[in-house]
Amino acid sequence: MKETSRRYFFRDCGVGLGKAALASLLVGSASRADTTLPPKKPHFPGKAKAVIHLFMAGAPSQLDLFDYKPQLAKLEGKPIPPEVIKGQRYAFIRSDAAVLGPRFKFATQGKSGTEISEVLPHLAKVVDDICLVRSVTTDQFNHAPAQIFFNTGFSQPGRPSFGSWVLYGLGSETKDLPAFVVMSTGSGISGGSANWSSGFLPTTYTGTRFRNAGDPILNLTNPPGVDAKLQTDTLDVVGELNRKHLADVGDPEIATRIAQYEMAARLQTSAPELMDLKKETKETLDLYGCEPEKPSFARACLIARRLVERGVRYINIYHEGWDAHSDVAGNSRNNCKITDQASAALVMDLKRRGMLDSTLVVWGGEFGRTPMVESNPTLGRSLGRDHHPQSYSMWLAGGGIKPGISYGQTDDLGFHVVENKVHVHDLQATILHALGLDHERLTYRHAGRDFRLTDVHGTVVKALLT
Amino acid sequence: MRLALPLLLLVSMNVSAAPPDFAKDVRPILANHCFKCHGPDSAARKAKLRLDTAEGARASLDEVLNRIASKDDEQVMPPPHVKKPLTEKQIQILNDWISAGAKYEQHWSFVAPKRPAIPPFGGEAKPSAGASPIDAFIRSKLVAAGLKLSPPADKATLIRRASLDLIGLPPTPKEVDDFLKDDSPNAYEKLVDRLLASPHYGERWARKWLDLARYADTNGYEKDRPRTVWPYRDWVIRALNDDKPFDRFTIEQIAGDRLPNPTPDQIVATGFHRNTMLNEEGGIDPLEFRYYSVVDRINTTATTWLGLTLGCAQCHTHKFDPIPHTEYFRLLAFLNNTEEPEFEVLSREIILKRQGILEQVAALERKVFQSLDQDPAKAKFLAWLKSERDRLQDWKFPRPTKTEAGPTKLKLLDDGSMLALGDPKKEDVYQLIFDDWPVNVTAIRLEALTDPSLPANGPGRAYYEGPKGDFLLSDIQLSIDGVPAPFRDASDNFAGAKSNAKRAFDDNLQSGWAGRGPGQPSHVVFNLAKPTTGKKAKLSLRFERHYSASLGRFRVSVTTAKSQIIAHDLSVDAEETLRVPEHKWTDGQRETIFREYLRLSPELKTQREAIEKLRKENPQGPRTLVMSERPEDHPRKTFRHHRGEFLQPAEEVQAGGLSVLHPVQAGAKPDRLTFAKWLVSKENPLVARVTVNRAWAAFFGKGIVRTLDDFGYQGDLPTHPELLDWLAVEFMENGWSMKKLHKTIVMSETYKQSSKLAPEYLGKDPENRLLARFPRVRLEAEMIRDSALKSSGLLSTKIGGPSVFPPQPPGVQDTAYGGAKWTPSEGEDRYRRGLYTYAKRTAPFAMAATFDGPSGEACTAMREVSNTPLQALTLLNDPSMMEAAAAIGKAIAGEKGIAKEKVDRIVRRCLSRPASEHEVAVLVKFADGVMGDEAARWTAVARAVMNLDEFVTKE
Repeated sequence: MKETSRRYFFRDCGVGLGKAALASLLVGSASRADTTLPPKKPHFPGKAKAVIHLFMAGAPSQLDLFDYKPQLAKLEGKPIPPEVIKGQRYAFIRSDAAVLGPRFKFATQGKSGTEISEVLPHLAKVVDDICLVRSVTTDQFNHAPAQIFFNTGFSQPGRPSFGSWVLYGLGSETKDLPAFVVMSTGSGISGGSANWSSGFLPTTYTGTRFRNAGDPILNLTNPPGVDAKLQTDTLDVVGELNRKHLADVGDPEIATRIAQYEMAARLQTSAPELMDLKKETKETLDLYGCEPEKPSFARACLIARRLVERGVRYINIYHEGWDAHSDVAGNSRNNCKITDQASAALVMDLKRRGMLDSTLVVWGGEFGRTPMVESNPTLGRSLGRDHHPQSYSMWLAGGGIKPGISYGQTDDLGFHVVENKVHVHDLQATILHALGLDHERLTYRHAGRDFRLTDVHGTVVKALLT
Repeated sequence: MRLALPLLLLVSMNVSAAPPDFAKDVRPILANHCFKCHGPDSAARKAKLRLDTAEGARASLDEVLNRIASKDDEQVMPPPHVKKPLTEKQIQILNDWISAGAKYEQHWSFVAPKRPAIPPFGGEAKPSAGASPIDAFIRSKLVAAGLKLSPPADKATLIRRASLDLIGLPPTPKEVDDFLKDDSPNAYEKLVDRLLASPHYGERWARKWLDLARYADTNGYEKDRPRTVWPYRDWVIRALNDDKPFDRFTIEQIAGDRLPNPTPDQIVATGFHRNTMLNEEGGIDPLEFRYYSVVDRINTTATTWLGLTLGCAQCHTHKFDPIPHTEYFRLLAFLNNTEEPEFEVLSREIILKRQGILEQVAALERKVFQSLDQDPAKAKFLAWLKSERDRLQDWKFPRPTKTEAGPTKLKLLDDGSMLALGDPKKEDVYQLIFDDWPVNVTAIRLEALTDPSLPANGPGRAYYEGPKGDFLLSDIQLSIDGVPAPFRDASDNFAGAKSNAKRAFDDNLQSGWAGRGPGQPSHVVFNLAKPTTGKKAKLSLRFERHYSASLGRFRVSVTTAKSQIIAHDLSVDAEETLRVPEHKWTDGQRETIFREYLRLSPELKTQREAIEKLRKENPQGPRTLVMSERPEDHPRKTFRHHRGEFLQPAEEVQAGGLSVLHPVQAGAKPDRLTFAKWLVSKENPLVARVTVNRAWAAFFGKGIVRTLDDFGYQGDLPTHPELLDWLAVEFMENGWSMKKLHKTIVMSETYKQSSKLAPEYLGKDPENRLLARFPRVRLEAEMIRDSALKSSGLLSTKIGGPSVFPPQPPGVQDTAYGGAKWTPSEGEDRYRRGLYTYAKRTAPFAMAATFDGPSGEACTAMREVSNTPLQALTLLNDPSMMEAAAAIGKAIAGEKGIAKEKVDRIVRRCLSRPASEHEVAVLVKFADGVMGDEAARWTAVARAVMNLDEFVTKE
């Protein structure tokens, strides 16, 4: 373990391990050693205890889902004015590409009168519980750097991810499950494992991937030829010999190892229990649109709720597939079919169980999509939209976030933010704030300086908070 | 996670009346709380007050005292909003220091190490014959703290420890027995020498070096496609096995290509800095990501050779260390003037085979060519010649007076073609200005030509995302005397009039002409709407795709022919040769024509196919990533970047060293070779210290300076400064020999002592900083798997070669972009050492990642050592661990002996020592309870033993 992380224990663990705990370890009553991440006090009381981040990887089209721009329909086919574009670099299209109008009808929904697209019929039902931010902006306009930027505050791999920072700040409420869980549906994720890496934080803070097929956690089930009894006997004999070794050698690290084996054994029980959806009612399954045995975004959302119930702190569900360089209408329709019902169900379900107040749900991608059309005969693309970093939309719900509001505005072309810009760093600061963490104080000393999730930027957007 | 012991150490020892020590007590406070606004960065400096130098601080010290003690929020320093308040104790320290005259000292690591006197072995019994100066330094501190070295570890522990440390593998039971039996006085030294001479030594230490080199087998970022750089990995293994002196080792990796007459090995060594990531995502700006690579290179260099956290100075003058913003970019300039080619590594085998094939091809060609001297082949050939000559048009090859191509330099070659040098962009425009354009030009011909200097031989410059060597001519425009001269139609030599070359002058810049494909030359003819009249012409070629796709080599020719020209499949070189009568042909010209005839003639199909088949069998060596310098007449400029941002280049800077360190050799060319020599100069106060410190940490788990990557103001101070300097000076004076350094360390009593923890010591030195015992350290990821394979007899001892795919649970690669496939290797490649496992950056090998292996995304000076439930699950349930246990179980079941003996053998295999009576009793009982056959029982026992803490620990 790095010196720095050792320091962290002394400095930040508060209660930590006193002489007494140490002594008890050394005489061998190691089974009580709580060596998972102990819960820690936040900087100030936060409303949210857990975060479920529904990461819409590939970047959904805000202009076809959340940010209605009739002006685009009027200008469809005409080039976007150069004074709007300025010097922006694009991934695929040329900066003089023509405007593409909204592909769907929009209507106001709920008491709040939030205007969203017809392809989000389920979200319409919970629109008064969410906070729609139409003025998110990012620095990055390519998938991998932008996803990594959203998750780590930096565009290149190597820094701790959002979940890692949150665990570092708050510790874990569960001893039976990993406190930071990552699930994914759709195709592979551009940013890869850098999105849930602990970077230079101790690897204990890395997100644990729950897989769709086979064991949810790698190596969770016993290998072939090892039945339950043999596994128990093995754990017993390993424990016994390790305890003897601890007594002989006296290194508390052995006590930690013993405790980790105990946790592993608990995981072998708790993870299958978690994944077993038989106890969920048919009504709940239908609410999400979840078939219990079939991996899907809906199932991942339901499991996310169960994880929060069991004290898991931070959950990422990646749904990759929104990268609509061609046929943005078809792409949006398909992906909404996969995600809309379950996303809304998650909010509903958390709310009716009284969990929404302490669970923050975040929905959105790594950047937005252009008001201009992407078409390219060489690449076989038509009626798509390219990557757009200047403005996009996300929604948040629960966990201390104001329900039923829309925040921020873009110009008539949906190009630039004109009111209440929310930079990704601001969103990070705000989410940390909801958890009771001051983004400027949540620092970690590495390579000669104090690092933060928000780098040297970020302002808490108070207007989003209750 | 390692348990946190040393709470007790937090108490301070500063109660004496002596003034506080500047380096130890004062500077850390100033650095952490004050330098950000009152430090080296003049741009960030507030109130013109500078506290990092004596001169800067002198006038204001009273004011400093008032302000830090102030209770007024408006007055107090540091101001409350920076959230870095001083404690009472810190204020007292600053107070005491200022009262005592505020003495400044140069930071310890910036002063070159001198050989320190070896302290007497005070207090302890007479040193044994084998005691090393290391022990003298360690003991003197232990004695002062009322501690002493632990007794020596038993021999079985020692051989396991030394084997794991030096070759990364546990010893076999026989090696242990032999060592236990050998009671000659130099038994241990013989063991050490054997291990140092083992070819596995290079593998073990290469893995550590590859962490720094951020080695991986893929490019990283979204696409994360495969790359070939394993020949560099193998170079590292060889260099370490050969004990290449560290200065030489350094120079070859930074600048091997700049050495006089570099050997292929020295060129391969430059792969060190080609291990940076390459973003191949469709829409990126390649120059931006090239900039990030160079930044990574300089930061990695600083971490690896200087132990400095230079990254801070990328964005602004370092807040703590004396490294100005400009100097960061001056240093970067040394590494910025590079090209990034591939280099084909040819083994003797390949060279011989190739030679054979080329000879066969030549023989076949000769046969064909000779056949053309006789009828009926001759008649047909002559008929072909005539028909080709009949269709000849006059073509001129005008040479441009001037070219303009942004960062690209177009170099005119002897044959009139232009070679593009420098950095391709996502959109490149080549403008060729002709002052002497022929009159009445009716068509322009553009040849896309291959060249060995281009990716995949060209003709394009695409090197990421798209096919290597690809290009797309998206627009061509000609203007005469400033007036556009439009095109009418176009054709090329492979699709004729059906060519899509017309797209190069349509309105759509996303479509165009892409030639015949990578690796193949081709040409296109554009017919003008009407003949040109003026003398001044500007030909503009635009290349635009979602990746860099400009032409790498091309030639322009023009004709005044009246008829419409349709491009025809005959190379331009052959065409020009046809203008010469046969009897005047040189041998070369004759071959040009024969080859072209062979390529095109329907009659020679059989022969042609036979030759093509042979050519396809021509073996290729691996093309590994290397560095080369830009041509002298086209250097890349380096700028300071405001806030370190790619898009904010400021003034140009010249290569130069760091002013806080030794000077760069005066008058030397400002290139990588000079830089490399500067790094390993004996005047460099850091390089030897940083290197020996890393070696120390490899053996003892922690460095003498705990922060292996930070020897600056913010880093930890050395626990044993004199020992560090002694090791550093020894290292340099011993010819930078890594093996000698390692031997010196492992021969010390400090290294050989027991790791048992005496409870009474815990209070005095809970973190074991003084080394009153050998620190137990968990094995690195690769070592754990290698140990399991070795214990089970499965391990392959093959060294080097392409990376392999050992089995891992399905689904590990799912989250990688495009759901990368992982097809397990067959045969011995399933059981190779961990450093040969294919390193995919976005989805690292699961077991390695679980045990803190690096992803290869950043330079790693020190791996984390965690202790997690996922590790327990891996050791318990991972199929490869199970496979190892089963191999042991099967072997033991087939052996003779009673249960007790079998348990003992399993323990010997896995833990390199005999089983204790207690273990035998426990494990025999456990084995008795296992259902199944003999093999199942012993498999279960082996599995249990491989799950013991001791199995994954260096005792």
